[in-house]
Amino acid sequence: MRERYQSKEIILIFVACFFFFSTQLNASDKLKLPKGIIKLDGRTAPPLILNDMEEEKYDLAQSKGRWVFVHFWATWCGPCRREMPTIQSLSEKIDQKELEIVLVNTAESEDAIFEFLGIVAPDLNPLLDKDGLVTEKWQPRGLPATFFVSPQGKLRFLALGGRDWNSGDYLTFLKKLNSLKGL
Amino acid sequence: MRKHPNLLYILIILLPLFITNVVAESKPLPEYQSTYEDGDIKFRIVDRTPENISAFYQGREFKQTAIDEILNTCYFTVIIHNKTQTTLWLELDNWQFSQGKRQIKRINREYWKNRWDAINLNQAHRSTFGWTLMPEARDLRADEGVGGSIVIPIQDKPYTVTANFATRPDKSGPIKTVKIHGAQCVKDIKAKK
Repeated sequence: MRERYQSKEIILIFVACFFFFSTQLNASDKLKLPKGIIKLDGRTAPPLILNDMEEEKYDLAQSKGRWVFVHFWATWCGPCRREMPTIQSLSEKIDQKELEIVLVNTAESEDAIFEFLGIVAPDLNPLLDKDGLVTEKWQPRGLPATFFVSPQGKLRFLALGGRDWNSGDYLTFLKKLNSLKGL
Repeated sequence: MRKHPNLLYILIILLPLFITNVVAESKPLPEYQSTYEDGDIKFRIVDRTPENISAFYQGREFKQTAIDEILNTCYFTVIIHNKTQTTLWLELDNWQFSQGKRQIKRINREYWKNRWDAINLNQAHRSTFGWTLMPEARDLRADEGVGGSIVIPIQDKPYTVTANFATRPDKSGPIKTVKIHGAQCVKDIKAKK
């Protein structure tokens, strides 16, 4: 009698898990991706451990449990320069407990970064990939590139090139990410 | 005495061939247009002057020996926009650079690695330089753009760029070809003036 009860329990757990994962996958599939955002295969995000401009160490592994917007950029890249003010503005609109914004500058000096960000995005504090090796491990398709890392630490989406993150479709997409916490 | 008429016949036979070749050689190529655009692609060559190149890399604190290495080459930027609704394959190995029938070998990343090793360029500058080069291969998605620099040895005459792109995600579509005639290394234009 007890054995039959246990096997029913196991079946129920399986059914519950199946429904949970299929709901999450469906949600991901149904999420309308705005122009220039592509779905990734969900491989584990490469390590990201760097210091920011205030020499505070950041480790992506500590951000598990929330979505992370990992943005690679450089001051010499035209689309990066146009996009950065929109990221500054986005950072004021979203709750970073749900979507954390992490900027990674690729292989530039602090002076070059400060000179640029001081004017266009003074509140942003990028991580410094001083030798560019972390960027190379992430293999963005060019600069700028924005990866969306899921609360489980998986690479789920990639934004190709630059854009205005405050325009309707992108804001809607960013807000909907939080409904995909199981990814 | 019999040799002379033979020589004459040979000359008569060869003369039209010679003339045809001269005419073919001197047939003007289409005028240089730095941009090609149709319903599938926008392809633009941006010529870089030595001053442009020096200013850019000096601004990034590259040492002069590294800048000189770049200035010793023919360096230009290409910007591509895939206007199709499918994949366009950027594969630089499928591009040709030529002067008439002569093929020009593109300077690849391996060359730069060796040069940077030789002058002991720091890792940050190698990385920055690498990001300014055109990717070797990329599956350009619908509406995706890409830009980057391409380097060939310095040429003293105009050259032709032939860019071939496989199409569709599995490369099963027709090859898209863009040809730009009459491109020139900017420092040669300056030298001629």
